[in-house]
Amino acid sequence: MNGALQLGWRYLAYHRFKTAVLLASVTLMMFLPAATRLLVEDSAQALNARAALTPLLVGAKGSQLELVLSSLYFHAESPPEISYQVFKDVRDTELVIAIPLHARFRARDFPVVGTSLDYFEFRNLELAEGRLLGLLGECVIGAGVARKLGIGAGDSLVTSPETVFDLAGVYPLKMKVAGVFAPSGTPDDEAVFVDVRTSWVIQGMGHGHQDLAEASAGNAVLSRGEGAITANASLVQYNEITPQNVREFHFHGDTGGFPLTAVIAVPPDEKNGTLLRGRYLDNKESSEQLAVPGAVLDDLLETVFTVQNYVVLGLLILSLATVAVIVLVFLLSQQLRRGEFFTLRRMGASRAFIALLVASEIVFVFAASLVLAALMTWTVRAWATKLLLSLMTF
Amino acid sequence: MIRNASLYVLLTVLECCLATGVVRGDDRPVVYTSNYPIYFFATEIAGSEVDVRLPQMEGDPAYWAPNSDQTAELQAANLVLLNGAGYENWLNFVSLHEERLVDTSAGLADSLLPLMEAAVHQHGPEGEHSHVGTAFTTWLDPKLAAGQAHAITAALVKLKPEQEAGFNDRLARLQRRLKQLDLDLDQVFTALGDQPVVFSHPVYQYLESRYSINGRSVHWEPDAVPNFRQWIDFQKLLAGHPAKLMIWEGEPLPEVSDKLAQQGLISVVFDPAGNRPEHGDYFEVMENNRQRLLTVLGML
Repeated sequence: MNGALQLGWRYLAYHRFKTAVLLASVTLMMFLPAATRLLVEDSAQALNARAALTPLLVGAKGSQLELVLSSLYFHAESPPEISYQVFKDVRDTELVIAIPLHARFRARDFPVVGTSLDYFEFRNLELAEGRLLGLLGECVIGAGVARKLGIGAGDSLVTSPETVFDLAGVYPLKMKVAGVFAPSGTPDDEAVFVDVRTSWVIQGMGHGHQDLAEASAGNAVLSRGEGAITANASLVQYNEITPQNVREFHFHGDTGGFPLTAVIAVPPDEKNGTLLRGRYLDNKESSEQLAVPGAVLDDLLETVFTVQNYVVLGLLILSLATVAVIVLVFLLSQQLRRGEFFTLRRMGASRAFIALLVASEIVFVFAASLVLAALMTWTVRAWATKLLLSLMTF
Repeated sequence: MIRNASLYVLLTVLECCLATGVVRGDDRPVVYTSNYPIYFFATEIAGSEVDVRLPQMEGDPAYWAPNSDQTAELQAANLVLLNGAGYENWLNFVSLHEERLVDTSAGLADSLLPLMEAAVHQHGPEGEHSHVGTAFTTWLDPKLAAGQAHAITAALVKLKPEQEAGFNDRLARLQRRLKQLDLDLDQVFTALGDQPVVFSHPVYQYLESRYSINGRSVHWEPDAVPNFRQWIDFQKLLAGHPAKLMIWEGEPLPEVSDKLAQQGLISVVFDPAGNRPEHGDYFEVMENNRQRLLTVLGML
């Protein structure tokens, strides 16, 4: 028996090219359907896990999927905005804990998420270094941001202008990194968190400058009339918020009209959640909508799974064709090896020995393919889900 | 003798431990306050059920801002009781858990007094704007203070519902004392009548409003000598508002009070009690204010 196995092994080793082609065909035949299914299932699970932990979202009317993806993965370039008053209204219902989100800006290609301290408790984000947001102009960064930029608590991070052509636009804000979160394996690792008011400063809705009523502001004053002071272009606006100038920062107008991209609503129980949903369903004229992220992603994933089933079916048909070709290759191979088998018979080998020799070659190829396919599937499972989720963050 | 001494030492140590919460394994909810009157009302209402704290602050709490350690303490608190009415300017730049903030004057919006219009300024494309606000020393009107005490009680009841009866009892007691203070102050200011008064600082708006005081405010500091310009403006003020009494937040410098006396003005301190007093409590500070006013009223 050992002789048959050894001869089989030697045959495969000698016909390297043929063996390699067979291995590649059988490996891909096994890997593709399995990897497709597992990848989709893993990604769906990862997507659903974050969505399931986000009970309700309030945002501007429009695509619910866009609202969910931009609020959970912060990937949108210019998400539609709602007013801060919406956050106040949701909070004042006292049905839910309301968490504001303003995810519009970027700092060195990482999304800047304006929110409140409640977000960190809600997502169970633990500090690995430093402290939480304390002062306007401070930020807390995710573990991925800290690792990729090589910065930590006490360093600075500058926001990116929305467009390089906006020369008259808002100046970048230099933010102090107050802390770094421990890795969470979620898009929060790749985000820069600031107080929602800091994100308004980034947007130019709040700013700091010297007091125009003071004598020292003389050079910056264009005119000083009865109860009105007009500044000229030399008025210096601060591009960094420090404990020394933070009192000079202020917002103009009613903050109720200031922008947010979404409000996360966390009801204490299902009843309160249903009551809040009812309020938005009843109000057809509202310019906001309430989305249930789990349900929205379920709809998306249902479509993905349907497509996946067609893809897997196609791959299975392809696999059958591959099996047929492989069988044909082996049968033709037997024909070509008739002389070899005849010689073996003349040397005293039994029919069973020859059958074992051929079977061992097939088993070796399939066993090696199985190992290779398993290794490739494991690699894909380990990296592809992360890669997919990181693509959704950008 | 030795046994008695040992017992005394033991009792003293126990008392210290109780005071610092070492023995009781203090698991009471922590409530921070933003000025002394709110702290006083909260401690009166909460009794020993809640750990009410006032951060260490130098000078006027209206100009205080928490440092990073104090910010962390405020973030960890179960509640932060605010005076409201724009008093806590630091809220504009400090990140706290919003649902743990309690604005004790939010329910008194109709009674809040707007400040005089600030200078309008303009820069950039946003157009004209000004930074105006509301008078914030609400606790100088005992009726408004009673309203704030009510808001404090509601917040504490939410925090510890099982203590509702105790909180309400203590609130009723506090409100009786505030009502008595209101009557006492009313008596003093009724005796003052319509006589013009000058306030050294624009922080007495609610006192003026509550007791119909014929007052005008300047912007003088008790520990500073007014400059020439301020004296000129003061003379102009007196020309249209012939006051004989000037009410100060703190004891003015002798040279200033002497100069005022030469002009026929008596200086008297009415401590707004914004920060923790060196001696006594809110009611004692108010009683001392009343006594000082009574003394000078006889001299007018």
